Amino acid sequence: METGGGMFDIFLPIAGIHFNALILLAIGFAVGVLGGFFGVGGAWVVTPALNIFGFNMAYAIGTDLAHIFGKSIVATKKHGKMGNVDVKMGLVSILGSVLGVEVGARTVMWLTAKGEHVVGPVVRYSYMVMLFGLGFYMLYDYLTKDKRAAAKAAAAATMPPGQVPEKKYWNIPPMLSFPTSGVRISFWTIMGVFFLTGWLSGFLGVGGGFIRMPALIYLVGCPTAIAVGTDLFSVVFTGAWGCFTYAAKGRVEIVAALIMLVGASVGAQIGVTAVKYIHGYGIRLLFAIMVLLAGASVALKQFDVGKAAAYLVMCSALAMCLVIMVQMARGFMKERAEKAAGPGASAHK
Amino acid sequence: MKKAVVALAFVLAHFFSRLCAASEGLDVPEALERKVPLDGLTGLSRFFASTYNDNLTLYAVICTVIMAIVGIVIAYGTDVILKAMGMEVHKIEHKE
Repeated sequence: METGGGMFDIFLPIAGIHFNALILLAIGFAVGVLGGFFGVGGAWVVTPALNIFGFNMAYAIGTDLAHIFGKSIVATKKHGKMGNVDVKMGLVSILGSVLGVEVGARTVMWLTAKGEHVVGPVVRYSYMVMLFGLGFYMLYDYLTKDKRAAAKAAAAATMPPGQVPEKKYWNIPPMLSFPTSGVRISFWTIMGVFFLTGWLSGFLGVGGGFIRMPALIYLVGCPTAIAVGTDLFSVVFTGAWGCFTYAAKGRVEIVAALIMLVGASVGAQIGVTAVKYIHGYGIRLLFAIMVLLAGASVALKQFDVGKAAAYLVMCSALAMCLVIMVQMARGFMKERAEKAAGPGASAHK
Repeated sequence: MKKAVVALAFVLAHFFSRLCAASEGLDVPEALERKVPLDGLTGLSRFFASTYNDNLTLYAVICTVIMAIVGIVIAYGTDVILKAMGMEVHKIEHKE
C-alpha cells in the first residue's frame, strides 16, 4: 500500500516511493509521545507502521533508527531539565550493555550454526516469554502496591523507635554512588544487570529500551521518572550508531526521517511533560499494558498473522498516546486550578 | 570520571569495529550497488540522492550529523519557545 496522489504527497528518492508527509508526521508524533513518556526508542511501533504504509522493511528499520536518534536528543534534553537523567548511570549502562550485546549476538550466531529452524523459534518464543513475563510482573507489582505498602508500614510500627528495616544488598566492592538516582550499589551488581539487559537486547535483536527501563526500576532501584530519562540518554548513543550503520548500508531515507523527527519532537514534548503529571506507578501500569500488547503482536506474528500484528501495534500505540495526552491534560488543569485557588488551597487538602 | 569515559570510548570503538566486521556478511550486494535516478530531483533531495550514489559512507556521516544537528536545534529551540510561552519545565519531585 503506497500512499500517493494526495495533497501532501512527496517523493522519497532513496526509498524510491511516493509517501504522504502527514502520515510520516503522525507516526513520528505518536512514537514521540510514547518515547518521551516511557523512555524507549519505539522501533517496535514505527517499523511495522512504515511497512504497512509501503516502506520496504529494510528502509523502514533504517529510517526509524535515524529518527529515533534525533528524537532521543530532544526528549533527553527535556528530561535532563526536569532532573530525570542520571548521566553517570547512563554511561555505566552503555558499558555493561555493549558487552552484553556482543555476547547476545554471539549466542544468536551459535544458535544459527545449529540451523535456521532452531534460531527463529528460540528467539521469537524468548521474546514472547520476555514481554509477557515483564508485562504481567509489572501489572502484579501495580496491583499489590497498596498491600505491600501496608505490610511495610506494619513492620515499621512493630520495630523499636529509631530502628529501620534492614535492606539486603550485595555490597561487594567497589561500591558506586549515583546521587541523582539516590542509589549506592556494587559495581558488580550494576554491571551484571546491564550485561543481562544487553545480552537480551543482542539476543532478541531489539534496541533494548523497554528492557533497560524496568531493569533500572526493579533491579537497580531508580525512581521511575529517572529510569525513563536515563534510558533515553542511552538511546541517544544506540540510535546514533543505528543511524550510521544503516545509512552506510544504504537503508536510511533521510527525507522521511527528518519529517518524522519534526512530528516526534512535538510528541516528545508532550510525552516528557506527561511524566510530570503521571507519577511512578501510573507510568509502570501504562508501560505494562503496552508491553503486553506488544507481546500479543509478536504472538500474532509467530502464527503468521503479520498484518494483524502490525495493525495491533499501531492501534495500541495510538490508543496509548490518547491516554497519555488525556492524563496530561487532566494533570495540567488540576495544577492550574490549584494555582488559581492560591497556595493555601493545596495546603488545606 | 574521565577514566570511565575513556574506557567507555575504547570499549565502544572496539564493539563498533567488531559489529562492522560481523555485519559485512549481511550486506545485500544489490542494495549497496543500487543507484538512485536523479532525473527530476532538485534541491536537498538531489543532494542526498547524489551523495547516496557517490559515497555511502559520506551519506551515513551526513545522515548522522544532520539528525544530531536537527535534534539539538529542535531541543534548544522548543526550550526557548516554551519559556517565552511561560510553559518552562523545572526539576520535578520524584514520586512513586
